[in-house]
Amino acid sequence: MTDTDRDRATLQALVERVAREVRWRRAEHGLLRGLFWGAVAAVVALALRTLLGPWATVAAVGAVGAGALVGAVVGLARRVPSADAARLADRAWGLQDRVATALEWAGRPERPRLADALLADAAARVAALDRRRVVRRLLPREVRWLPVPALAGLALLLAPPVPLPRLPDVLTAPDGQEAPARIAEGLMEQQARPLARDPLRRPPVEEREFGQRPGTPTTAAPGDLAAVFKDTALAAQRPDFNSFLKKGDERLRLLEQVDRLPDLQSDFTASQYKVVFRKARALTGGLRPDQISPEKLRELLEELQRLGRRSGGGWGSDVAEGMEALESGQQDRALEAMERALDKLRAMEEAQRSGKGLRGGRERDRTAGRDGSRGGASGEEPDFGEGEGLLPGKGRNPNPKGEASQRLRATPYDAGLEGEMRQGRKEAYDTNLTGRAGRMPSRLAYLGVLGQYRKMMEDAITREQIPRDYHEQIREYFQALDER
Amino acid sequence: MTQDARVREFVQAFEALRAEVEKVIVGHREIITHVLVGMFAGGHVLLEGVPGLGKTLLIKTLADGLDLRFARIQFTPDLMPADIIGTNMIVEDAEGRKHVQFQAGPIFANILLADEINRATPKTQSALLEGMQEGAVTVGGVSRPLPAPFFVLATQNPIEMEGTYPLPEAQLDRFIFKLRVRYPALEELNAIIDRTTQARQVTVERVMTGPAVLAFRELVREVPIASHVRDLASTIVMATHPEWEHAPEVTRRYIRYGASPRGAQALVLGGKVLALAEGRYNVSVEDLKRLAVPALRHRIILNFEGEAEAVDVDRLIGEIVESAEALVAQGREPFLR
Repeated sequence: MTDTDRDRATLQALVERVAREVRWRRAEHGLLRGLFWGAVAAVVALALRTLLGPWATVAAVGAVGAGALVGAVVGLARRVPSADAARLADRAWGLQDRVATALEWAGRPERPRLADALLADAAARVAALDRRRVVRRLLPREVRWLPVPALAGLALLLAPPVPLPRLPDVLTAPDGQEAPARIAEGLMEQQARPLARDPLRRPPVEEREFGQRPGTPTTAAPGDLAAVFKDTALAAQRPDFNSFLKKGDERLRLLEQVDRLPDLQSDFTASQYKVVFRKARALTGGLRPDQISPEKLRELLEELQRLGRRSGGGWGSDVAEGMEALESGQQDRALEAMERALDKLRAMEEAQRSGKGLRGGRERDRTAGRDGSRGGASGEEPDFGEGEGLLPGKGRNPNPKGEASQRLRATPYDAGLEGEMRQGRKEAYDTNLTGRAGRMPSRLAYLGVLGQYRKMMEDAITREQIPRDYHEQIREYFQALDER
Repeated sequence: MTQDARVREFVQAFEALRAEVEKVIVGHREIITHVLVGMFAGGHVLLEGVPGLGKTLLIKTLADGLDLRFARIQFTPDLMPADIIGTNMIVEDAEGRKHVQFQAGPIFANILLADEINRATPKTQSALLEGMQEGAVTVGGVSRPLPAPFFVLATQNPIEMEGTYPLPEAQLDRFIFKLRVRYPALEELNAIIDRTTQARQVTVERVMTGPAVLAFRELVREVPIASHVRDLASTIVMATHPEWEHAPEVTRRYIRYGASPRGAQALVLGGKVLALAEGRYNVSVEDLKRLAVPALRHRIILNFEGEAEAVDVDRLIGEIVESAEALVAQGREPFLR
């Protein structure tokens, strides 16, 4: 054995000793961790003493022992890299990385001559070392909580068994057939139960009110404004995205006719016409006139009559004619009379809707033209006179621009300007915008641009060879801007 | 000669040279050590300090202690590159024939003192670049090697900025260390007064020759370094780069450009010299920590925020070194940290 081999063996021995120490410390650490988790498992086992009977104590003891054993074995079995152990030894004995360097270079075939000298030097120093433990003990975090499961386990062991909550009888069913059947039944009930309504999700198509009824034509007649809200064949078919788009285009075309838009606020689906129309469809769907129940037809006619009386509609004569025809057994005449009455009901409702709010544009002009009120004071609109426009001082209206709207009154665009002395490095006077104007984008851009200019200034100073004497002055200027 | 003997000889020579310099220079032990470390590592050293702290005297004394050719250039704004490198001149021989002859400048010396280097124009400063890096200068298309060992010791004054030209980063990077000469302590000042105001002549002995310096430089390069120590050097340098993914927060906040690979070379080479000077055969983590500040402080460029907040680069490097150490140890489990 050469001197080099002997020196190397000395260093290896030290490194192995340190590695062994690390493994023991790890085993301690793992044992304590395993003890804690084993104790937790033991508490659970003891809590289930009612269920497990005398086996609970055995399981608890086993869990504690197994946890500690597994933790210790895992800690002991893990390998410690020799380079790491060498570094640890260097630090622990203040060897200034001699051991790690010597061992690393000793393994290289082409090494400088100084590496051998290093090996000898390191071995000599290692031989003179005291044998003390260098790896500190590291307690796991769980250890501080170890008394909790230990005391809980002890208490559970000494106390009478904890009564368990009564389990559902499906688990303790005497016969094996009944229980699965009940479970399946329960599941089916659960599936049949309607799902909770998510406020963020639109309701499924089936829940909408405008579902198509049997006999309803699937396409809307051209110019039929009700088609905007009527529907739309979505109920009859699966609502895929393409069909939705297709229908949407049609509706958008209709919506472009702004002067003919009905009142969007009224709920068409809840109109009287619709109610009666649905009932009529339900009555006549798929049947010939001679197959219709006269009682049902009479009920509808009476309903129409009642509506006519309440709203003052002009279909009373049609309803009366229908009733007469029904009395004489002429159901087809009675149906015709009912359809006329329905048409009138619908016409009245549409007229009501169009007069509610969204009148404007051309329709308004047309109305104004019909009334012959152009140029005259109508009470609603200001009169500017023929050809005088909105210019101030023109026309007969003392307030040609009218009053500010409610919205403008509520949120005025006030702009204030105030000045203040700046307490910075140098005396300066700032003017500040206040009110909403102060928060407008132009103001924010100024604040933002300051940072940009600071960066540009920094670039300019470092790149453009600005004389060093001016650097401080420039920085002071930007500093002053910041000291607001 | 055994390796032990070689190392012992180096330690003795190092101590002897330091002792000669300390005969004249009071205090500044760390500065003297770093100058010697820079010299044996084969680099050049920049000394920065206010006037009157003995920078020039330190270098002159060091030159006196070495049996080497010494030259001093006082840098001024009107100094030209030819004044440093030399120039081709037409000369007449004894027979009256004229021919061009190269007149070597002061750069052709072993130890060059570039006093107040930041007073010369960038053009003149750059005349030193090739010599410092390549050990040769090119005049009239002809490359002329400088004598070995070639060692530049430059001084600059940090406060008198009028009429100065700060050294460009490329040139700063060629200095292995930048040393800050600080004001002496009270006891040191008293010693300076005693030593310089009495009729006592101090004689500095020549304790080392040029070939010895070159041999020691060879020895230095043989010093082994462990991979984890080398990794730490690389990590420290990388941690000065704000764009590095593991860069510490201080780097991202205050640094614009980090150190070049020459910074890592300076750390490792300096560490090797420092280890040998202490009679050790390997570079340790502590060596790197001791040298991090002088090796990196001139290679780090602060950003605007760093300059505006007058961030102390030395302290910043200290934080970077700590972060780098934590980063290297991060992958290791607690039992091995």
